[in-house]
Amino acid sequence: MSDLFPMKQVMGFGVSIILTIIAACVYFFNLSFPITMTILLVTAFIQAGLQLVVFMHAGETNDKPAIYTNIYYGLIIALVTIFGTLLCMIWGYI
Amino acid sequence: MKIDQSLPLEYSTQQNQLNILGFWVFIGAEIMLFGTLFAGYFVLVDRTGNGPTGAEIFEITPVLFETFILLTSSFTIGLGIHAMRKGYTKAMIWFYVLTLVLGVVFISFEVYEFMHYIHVGASLQTSAFTAALLTTLGTHGAHVTFGVFWGMFIVYQLIQRGLTPETANKSFIFSLYWHFLDVVWIFIFSFIYLKGMV
Repeated sequence: MSDLFPMKQVMGFGVSIILTIIAACVYFFNLSFPITMTILLVTAFIQAGLQLVVFMHAGETNDKPAIYTNIYYGLIIALVTIFGTLLCMIWGYI
Repeated sequence: MKIDQSLPLEYSTQQNQLNILGFWVFIGAEIMLFGTLFAGYFVLVDRTGNGPTGAEIFEITPVLFETFILLTSSFTIGLGIHAMRKGYTKAMIWFYVLTLVLGVVFISFEVYEFMHYIHVGASLQTSAFTAALLTTLGTHGAHVTFGVFWGMFIVYQLIQRGLTPETANKSFIFSLYWHFLDVVWIFIFSFIYLKGMV
C-alpha cells in the first residue's frame, strides 16, 4: 500500500493544502491590501511551482531545458499581457 | 517502433517523447490564454455598473470546497501516474476514476455557483465585471468538463488495451492537462475570489 503513496507526492499534496489554508487566511483575518496581495502572490506561485515540479515531472527528461524555456516564455508573455494591460488601461489614469 | 526499455513506458518511443514535449508547448499557449483572460478581468473588475460587486456575490464555502476537491483530484491523478510507472494497471485505473469523479463533483459545485450568480442578478450581460468574471470562470470550467470526457475515453482504452506505450503516453499527457487546470484554479482562487472578497 505504501508503494502506491510515494512520500514525495504526499508531501507535495500536504504542502499545497497548507498553502491554500494560508491563502484563505486573508479572507478570515483583516489584513491591509499590500500584505494580502503579498500573501496571495507568494502562495499562488509556490503552489504553481510545486505542481510543475512534483506532479508534472517537468524536469525529469532530456527535454527539461525545452520544457522550462517554453513555460517561462508562456509565463512572461502572460505577465506582460496582464501588467501591460493594467498599466495602459488603469494605472496610467489614476 | 523502437522501444527503449530503460525509460518509463510513456517516454519509451521517440513519438511518445515528442507528444509529451508538444503538449508542454500547448500548455505554454494555455498559460497565455488564461493570461489574457486575467488581464481582461483585472481591468474590468471595478466596472460593476448597476450590477453587484464581487464581494456581494462570492461565497467562501463552495469556493473552498472547489479548491480542495481540485487539489485532491490533482493529487490522485499524480498517484495514478506513479502507479502506472510501477506497472499497477488496476490501481492506476482506480486513481483515474477517482480523479474523474472528483472532477464531476467540482463541475457540480461550479454549476451551483453559476446558478447562484444568475439568481442574485449577475448574468453575462449584467456588467463588464460579471461578463469578465463568468468568461474567465467559464473557460476554466469548460476545460475541466472537456477533461472529464477526455479522461473517460482514456480510462476506457486502459481497460480495453491495458498499459502499452500508447495508452501510457496518453494517460501521462492527460495528467499534465489535469495538473495544469489545477494551477489555473489556484490563480482564480487567489486573485479572483480571495482578492475580491477582502
